[in-house]
Amino acid sequence: MTDARGPKAHERSPADGTPPAAGEPHGGEARTGEAQTAGRTAAGAKAPVRGSSGPAGLARLGEARHLGLVLALVLLAAIGLVTRPENFATASNLVSILSLAATIGVITVGMTFVIIGGGIDLSVGAIMALASVWATTLATQSYGPFVMILCAVLVGTGAGLVNGFLISYGRMVPFIATLAMLVAARGLAQRMSDRKTQLIQQGNEVIVELSTTRVLGLPLLVYVFALVVAAGWVVLNRTTFGRRTYAVGGNPEAARLAGIDVRRHTMLLYALSGLCCGIAAVLIMARTTTGSSTHGDLYELDAIAAVIIGGTLLTGGRGSIIGSILGLLIFTLITNLFILNGLNTSDQLIAKGLIIIVAVLLQRRSLESRT
Amino acid sequence: MTPVLELRGIDKSFGPVQVLHDVSFSVYPGEVTALVGDNGAGKSTLVKCVGGIHPIDSGSYFFEGKPVQVHSPRDAAALGIEIVYQDLALCDNLDIVQNMFLGREHKRGLVLDEDTMEEMAAKTLQSLSVKTVKSIRQHVSSLSGGQRQTVAIAKAVLWNSKVVILDEPTAALGVAQTAQVLELVRRLADQGLAVVLISHNMNDVFAVSDRIAALYLGRMAAQVKTSEVTHAQVVELITSGRSGDLGLTNGVPA
Repeated sequence: MTDARGPKAHERSPADGTPPAAGEPHGGEARTGEAQTAGRTAAGAKAPVRGSSGPAGLARLGEARHLGLVLALVLLAAIGLVTRPENFATASNLVSILSLAATIGVITVGMTFVIIGGGIDLSVGAIMALASVWATTLATQSYGPFVMILCAVLVGTGAGLVNGFLISYGRMVPFIATLAMLVAARGLAQRMSDRKTQLIQQGNEVIVELSTTRVLGLPLLVYVFALVVAAGWVVLNRTTFGRRTYAVGGNPEAARLAGIDVRRHTMLLYALSGLCCGIAAVLIMARTTTGSSTHGDLYELDAIAAVIIGGTLLTGGRGSIIGSILGLLIFTLITNLFILNGLNTSDQLIAKGLIIIVAVLLQRRSLESRT
Repeated sequence: MTPVLELRGIDKSFGPVQVLHDVSFSVYPGEVTALVGDNGAGKSTLVKCVGGIHPIDSGSYFFEGKPVQVHSPRDAAALGIEIVYQDLALCDNLDIVQNMFLGREHKRGLVLDEDTMEEMAAKTLQSLSVKTVKSIRQHVSSLSGGQRQTVAIAKAVLWNSKVVILDEPTAALGVAQTAQVLELVRRLADQGLAVVLISHNMNDVFAVSDRIAALYLGRMAAQVKTSEVTHAQVVELITSGRSGDLGLTNGVPA
């Protein structure tokens, strides 16, 4: 099926702007990459001079090019409706899905930047744990909730900066540098907390209210998540920082010759990822009312998997925030379906693994058909 | 006519190896100056000195008659000197407009000003009579070698540059595409820019250049008008550093 679409993408005909008609339920993820390119060029072909406004603006919003992921989500939702009609479509279930997605979702935004920029960050879960522990020590808690939030964000950003410094100025491979941070940050979190779970003290419940206060039926932390996604989207698609992130990931040498400070940019990408971990730490403190060195175990893998399913290339230079978030929602929905249906968590892991493999295979086919 | 760019007595060493000896080089507006020389003659080093990538050890650098200091690529760009590198330095994953403005994006407030950038890119391509590109929102990965070269050149002239240096622009191109690029090179000069063309291909050099500067083992063997020399003479200058009255005598300029 990919071969049939391949030549079409090459012709860059305006018709390609709307991704191929539905009817390939399994081809979901494959389409994103191709539709992305087709959408952009089609918009350009229609209005070569003023393409960035109007139709192109819409196409770049990503609704069109992520149709495959959306179809996969709809399919999963349909499975939920059929197998658990009484539990799935309830308000409380939807809230729990979104709350679950919010923490990893914030991390996924940062991860998307790092991976588009040609790197990888394995330390996100550990950094989040460290930030949550640091922010919930009795010493920090004595300053009140806002200092706690500031502390979590600063610890996250600081750890990210260390990653970035080691990678861009210490010339370490991202995999190694962030692996070291993963181990060390987790260890430091254990030292600080004495391996105990630190409760949020009385008087600092403002943080917990992020998960208990609801606006229009949704807890505040879902709005924080939405805000981070929106900010991430704007930065990636509408600012020089985002444009240069694509350039640095796509061809660092060309970026350097174009006058971009590639090292500084790379460092900032990891700092951004760390900042997202700090925000995620606040969210998990709100959800669990604790800070703990065990928070966020294996979050790095979930975040990376979500980014990959969303169509971002691990080699850098291509990808999108919306794709990553859709990828994450697919993952979260699968978890939810398995829990609702009382299925074995081991089977759930197997299913997730298969989904990653299928997503990558489909991506590769869509890439090959383009070149 | 005064040269827009003039180098006098340039020396450049990398550690113990002296790559450029007392090189003088002039580039004139509205002309294509071909820079020729065998492998290792110092063409690339000379260009990198001009572009501020390598600082010069000694010698003087004049731009529009005034002595200037060029210490970094940004200094060169500020003067209006743009270099189109052999490997093109384009990002495959970005479109034409994004590539042309990479590192120097226009902004409206905090966000990118796509409309202005698109308009300027379209104008520049139009002024170069580029018609082969279907859409300027096309990804560079979908372009042919000649089109990529065109985009790289358009990127260089976008900034009201005065000197454009092209490092072997036709090296990887087929016959038709080479003709297209050479035509474009000629058009740049006709618009009043000073163009430096580095090339190994004598046919290209004679097809398009007004002047030829031949480097031989790090020395400037001769700088001559293309109309005053023959094909064979230039080849001799490249391979032995002299040809009849032209060139070096015992390794030093006559």
